[in-house]
Amino acid sequence: MKGRNMTDKGQNGPESWLRKLVEWGGLSGPILVLLGLGSLLVPVLVGRFWIEVGTEILVLGLFAMSFNLIYGYMGQISFGHAAFFGLGAYATAIMFREFTGGTEEITILQFFGALLAGPPVAAIGALVVGFFCIRLTGIYFAILTLAFGELLFFVVFSWYTFTGGDDGIQRLLPPPVFRDPTVYYYLTLAIVAAAAAMMWRITRSPFGYVLRAMRENQLRTRFIGIDVRRYMLVNFVIAGMFAGVAGALWGPFTRSVGPLLLGWQESGIAVFMTLIGGAGFFAGPMVGSIVYTFLQAYVTGFTVYWPLTIGTVILLIVLFAPGGLLGVIDAKLIPRILNRGGGEERADSSPKKSSKSKGTS
Amino acid sequence: MARTILEVTGLNKHFGGIHVTQNVNFTMQEGEQSAIIGPNGAGKSTFFNLLTGYHKPDGGKVVFDGRDITNRAPHVIARIGISRAFQISNIFPRLTVLENVRSAVHSHARVTMNMFASADRIGVSETQEALSLCGLVEKANDIAGMLAQGDKKKLELAIALAGKPKLLFLDEPTAGMSLEETQETMKLVDRLNRELGLTVLFTEHDMSVVFNHAKRVVLLHRGEIIIEGSPEQVRDNETAQQIYLGEHHI
Repeated sequence: MKGRNMTDKGQNGPESWLRKLVEWGGLSGPILVLLGLGSLLVPVLVGRFWIEVGTEILVLGLFAMSFNLIYGYMGQISFGHAAFFGLGAYATAIMFREFTGGTEEITILQFFGALLAGPPVAAIGALVVGFFCIRLTGIYFAILTLAFGELLFFVVFSWYTFTGGDDGIQRLLPPPVFRDPTVYYYLTLAIVAAAAAMMWRITRSPFGYVLRAMRENQLRTRFIGIDVRRYMLVNFVIAGMFAGVAGALWGPFTRSVGPLLLGWQESGIAVFMTLIGGAGFFAGPMVGSIVYTFLQAYVTGFTVYWPLTIGTVILLIVLFAPGGLLGVIDAKLIPRILNRGGGEERADSSPKKSSKSKGTS
Repeated sequence: MARTILEVTGLNKHFGGIHVTQNVNFTMQEGEQSAIIGPNGAGKSTFFNLLTGYHKPDGGKVVFDGRDITNRAPHVIARIGISRAFQISNIFPRLTVLENVRSAVHSHARVTMNMFASADRIGVSETQEALSLCGLVEKANDIAGMLAQGDKKKLELAIALAGKPKLLFLDEPTAGMSLEETQETMKLVDRLNRELGLTVLFTEHDMSVVFNHAKRVVLLHRGEIIIEGSPEQVRDNETAQQIYLGEHHI
């Protein structure tokens, strides 16, 4: 391995830009460029069904990336993150209902107004829930997020007059121009890309490094002068807000929202996607979303055994590639490009390390 | 001339029925460099924990730089100028050495709520300075958790220094270091004390380190200060010899 690395050093040509890209953003650098270009082409290459799958990949991928701000970066696991996805979805849906008054007619301005309602409502929800959850860490944090998620689910499930109860809210038809799957896909792509770009900045800012510091060692973080709880809460709210962005896009996409969007199974989807792609990588959850959503669309086409399929996939990943798919690629590829170890977040990249490490393994 | 920087009065702490800090009165002048010694379990680390906000005292008062810091949270105390290096190295294992130090630099510069600037561009020179003081420049990009024990202790010190403290607590700064590293580290501590006027309080089991690098020595036993004075005074004190020094064959 070492010998081959040496020969790569200083090479120009196609490898030098790749090297720069990796130095800039770790494995996520080239992956994001690849995904960015690829996602632009999706509607050109595939038919209506797969364009809709593409939209779903983007929305759920954003949801999972927002979850990873808490998990991969801050080192706490939330089993209630869907509460904020659902709050965002419901905020948009309720605005929709008020604007249309049951007529299925909504102007473009009203439509964007409804979308804008999602993130702040989700952020306020995260502020309230986070206020309690950040007092704890580890399994207690996880259980508390789960409890709050189920509590919010039950509120939405029971409050017929406001949320529609278990019927949810139906007939969320976007304005005519956005009813076309290709147009809605590109709208989603633009919003998800903007949100991902913001998250990218956040994760590489001083604040982003405070998150990593809290993941690594909360005690030490306190003793360098950081109010750990305050930073945990701020991050919890930011993550909730981005989940709300994803949630806002969901209702007009599926034309309806239901209380299950807030449920623990929906939260589990973010966890699964992140594990599949790799929590130690910025692009990990999005890669996980591609695998998960594509597989679901494909497998449910010919069998009802989807839970069995995804269960097997998760099992294999956790057992044989605990750093996720990107962890595997990272370990094989990055040392060749950089002549040193990869591991963008040094979190899950190496099974040897991650087996002993706490938090993100 | 010298100003009182730390004033501890009547400090008490119990853990269950054990009185781990008993009515401790202690002051430090700005710019002094002193050591706390005492057998294992004497309450040295507890004393540091009480002063840095990790434990809440049951009674007594701690005044630092004219401000009452009794019962304040660790992060508040850190921000007003007390840094500590831990006995068992307490670092961010999966971040690089540079990122470890930079976190403390950012915290000191109050930029940690900045979410949109690139962390790589803030506090570069301060980070380099702390790294080079502690001899870690070449290891800047190493993963902290993979460092040798001695280097981890150096990093521990670098993180503490990066916060530009006025008062530095070092809990056995040379534990796990080779003889050479020990001398290097203590030379650095002396230099910081002499050149930057940093006030230093350290604990140490190695008596030669204590007697060569502390101007004042405090002997702690069962949570009580038994004697304090110059290294010679403590060495020649009979009670001190009985409690502690005797075991170490001075």
